[in-house]
Amino acid sequence: MSTTPILTSPILLIEDEPSVTAFLRAALERRGYSVEDAASGAEGLEKLGGREYSGVISDIRMPGSVNGAEVHAWIQQNRPDLCTRIILISGDTANSDTQMLLKQSGTPCIEKPFRVQQLLTMVEKTFGKP
Amino acid sequence: MPRATAKSSTRLARKRANKPAPARPVLHAADELMELAVDAAHSRNLPAFLERFAQRATRMLDARWGGVMVFRGRETDLYQAGADAVDLQPSHQATLIRIGRDARRKSETLPVSFDSPLTAVGDKDGQFAEVTFVPITASDEESLGCLCLIRGRGTPSQDERHLLHALASHAALSLENFRRFSQLERSKRQWVEDIDAISDYIVVHDRSFRIVRTNRSLASYLGVPPVALVGDPMSSLRQIAETRSELPCPFCRDTQQAREEYIVASPERIFLVSTSRTPGVSDDDTRTIHVLKDMTDRREAERRYRELFDSIQEGLFFATPEGRFLDVNDAMVRMLGYDSREELLRADVSTHLYPVVAERERFFSALSKRGVLRNYEETLRRKDGTLLHTLQNITAVRDAAGKIIQIRGLMLDVTEQRTFQSQLQRERDFNQKILNTTQSMILVLDTAGLISYANRRAFESGYLEHELIGHRLVDWVEAGQREDFEAALETTAHGHQVENIELRVRRSDASMGHFSISLSPMRDEQGAVNSVVVVMTDITDAVLLQAKLAHSEKMATIGRLVSGVAHEVNNPLAAILGFTDLLLENPAIPANAREDLEIILHETQRTKDIVQDLLSFARQRPVQRELVHVNAVLRQTIKLRSYDFASHGVEVLEEFDENLAHALGDGQQLQQVFLNILNNAYDAVQEVGQRGRIAIRTSQQGSNIEVAITDNGTGVTDTERIFDPFYTTKQAAKGTGLGLSICYGIVRAHGGEILCRNNENAPGSTFIVRVPVATEAATAAAIAKEAGR
Repeated sequence: MSTTPILTSPILLIEDEPSVTAFLRAALERRGYSVEDAASGAEGLEKLGGREYSGVISDIRMPGSVNGAEVHAWIQQNRPDLCTRIILISGDTANSDTQMLLKQSGTPCIEKPFRVQQLLTMVEKTFGKP
Repeated sequence: MPRATAKSSTRLARKRANKPAPARPVLHAADELMELAVDAAHSRNLPAFLERFAQRATRMLDARWGGVMVFRGRETDLYQAGADAVDLQPSHQATLIRIGRDARRKSETLPVSFDSPLTAVGDKDGQFAEVTFVPITASDEESLGCLCLIRGRGTPSQDERHLLHALASHAALSLENFRRFSQLERSKRQWVEDIDAISDYIVVHDRSFRIVRTNRSLASYLGVPPVALVGDPMSSLRQIAETRSELPCPFCRDTQQAREEYIVASPERIFLVSTSRTPGVSDDDTRTIHVLKDMTDRREAERRYRELFDSIQEGLFFATPEGRFLDVNDAMVRMLGYDSREELLRADVSTHLYPVVAERERFFSALSKRGVLRNYEETLRRKDGTLLHTLQNITAVRDAAGKIIQIRGLMLDVTEQRTFQSQLQRERDFNQKILNTTQSMILVLDTAGLISYANRRAFESGYLEHELIGHRLVDWVEAGQREDFEAALETTAHGHQVENIELRVRRSDASMGHFSISLSPMRDEQGAVNSVVVVMTDITDAVLLQAKLAHSEKMATIGRLVSGVAHEVNNPLAAILGFTDLLLENPAIPANAREDLEIILHETQRTKDIVQDLLSFARQRPVQRELVHVNAVLRQTIKLRSYDFASHGVEVLEEFDENLAHALGDGQQLQQVFLNILNNAYDAVQEVGQRGRIAIRTSQQGSNIEVAITDNGTGVTDTERIFDPFYTTKQAAKGTGLGLSICYGIVRAHGGEILCRNNENAPGSTFIVRVPVATEAATAAAIAKEAGR
């Protein structure tokens, strides 16, 4: 665990639900991660083009033109460095499209609602410790 | 030459009279003879003339008595003069006549011996003994009579004998003339009578159109004696019949023609006028004879016949044996579709009217054989080519040799009846087929509700004839619904249709079926309802199917709803759960607040479970198609709960069909189904408190694999609603009410079915899951897929 490099760049949080964003930011910041958030997929992609991030946490189902699956696809195409540094959040993993995406990409996914510990474990495992 | 002889005799008498006569009677005789000739020429009354003749002869020959005998066959008429002078008794007359009849040849004066003496009147002494007889002989020597004189003074002188001959010649001439005249009169009278006996009207007119004669018929028609018309102008007969003749005679047309014949008609009468003109010696003699034959009755009969012939609705015809119509009536023309009688008369029967010429030959030979054909059926062809079905009555008219010379017939158009009949037959067949092949039971009830007819389907359904016919249909209806049926029957009896009432009716195997029933009234000729047609359709299966469809539709809708709700709930839930966690991590939180937070945490967890269930229920995860060994899935499932079962004393009985075929489906999902049912069964037997027992039986039922899971628990309150989402009988916090709904969705997705029923005569309930057996093709495909993986 100590070998995991200290993250210098913030984690990008893409989530349309403000209360969920607030909880995630609180949980992550309390553990020492720096967090930047985007309220939609489109905003997320804009931010991704602007600076470095140590990882991306994105909700799958979001209103607007860009959803989580598309964010995921964009990263695969344009940010190979972040390819393995994505965590998806889903309110409905039973959705067949979601299942297909997760199965094909092997991207880790955390299902709402989740415990803080579940989140931190997955973040540490995927992005490393802060 | 009787006339010449007589004349010469007269001349002779005259010559003698002109001679210087020695005796007065002779000179007197010449005048007398001249007067006699004049008298004879003018006299029309023979007896009076003969009496005068007798007087004259008596006077001329100075006789006391004179008589003229006229022979008429055996009879003799006697005309006499001088009866005042001679006392001539009948016996004397008889004697004279006998002698007179013998005196044939010449005159003679004979002594006559009478039976009693013949004396002069008033003088009994002087007797007459000699009588002079002079025969009167016709020119043809026929003895006509005899002149007889009684003189009482000896034999006549030479001059007197000449005079007697002259007188006899005059008498002969007169008698002959009278006889001819009376013959003429008689024949003329006879002719008039004959003419009068003719009922036709006869009128003769002269050149100046004056009536010369009419017969009695004509006169009596006009109400006058025949003679009254003579001399009237012919124009007075216009009242008989108004003709358009411009001549003074209404019946003359062309006076130059010797003969004319034509028909004249008045409003009342019709006459055939036959006219003959006889040219006379002079123009004045020209006679025109009109004979008017009253044709009215004949024409009327003919007109009536023609009218009947033409107005009758049946076709009538006269035809030659060769096949030409001589006459046809209008109906016949119409029937055969010709434009006119003339057109039909031109048609050749064999080729124009018979679709097959041989048929006409068949007809003719049948007629030749029998002479009369009654109700002979024949199909003819109309002018436009369409077929005409006819019924004919035919009579052959034969000549003396027996050869058919004419065919007379009456023809009925039975096309419509024929068409109607065949239509009726078709309709009847059609109805019969419907009645016999329909999947509905069709019954006919009388107004009392007794069954009088049942179609084939009713008997195929298992009902026996003696169970139905004559029995009340209402007795088959479920007791609780009989009033409904009676009400419907009553409504129908009042003439109203009752459609699709649904009633439970006892089937022939005593099971109750769900029937859709329609009742229709049937009316008699007066329009009164005399029976009711009942159409009954067993819709038990349809009702079940419909219920299932409605249920699956409901489930799908709920699924979509739940999916949306669950997703929306998860976001706030994530925040609640997350912040609660964060709060609990804070060591500064006091202990009592921490307890509250724990409760929030717990309840949030519970909410999460519920939402998870909802999502499971609603998820549209496609069924994995792979070969599934149902027994194996069941064993695995049982193993999951075996610890609980064993520790709570629940006995699990496995009655598996070890030869069970594979099912095609999703093993994991099926396991979820079985687990859910087992959990329910476990809960149910736990509740009862006695030794629980769960029996699991597998078998193959047709193309399905059937799993029956029977428990001896509490049983199910509502077996129909148990698969509805959120339906639960478990205490709060123990179940979401979605488990069996999820099972339902899974089994349906497998193309199978799941159902629940309470055990008969035993506590507890049984869940049955049926999934289809994998077909050979599906099995092969699945194996291939397995191999390729």
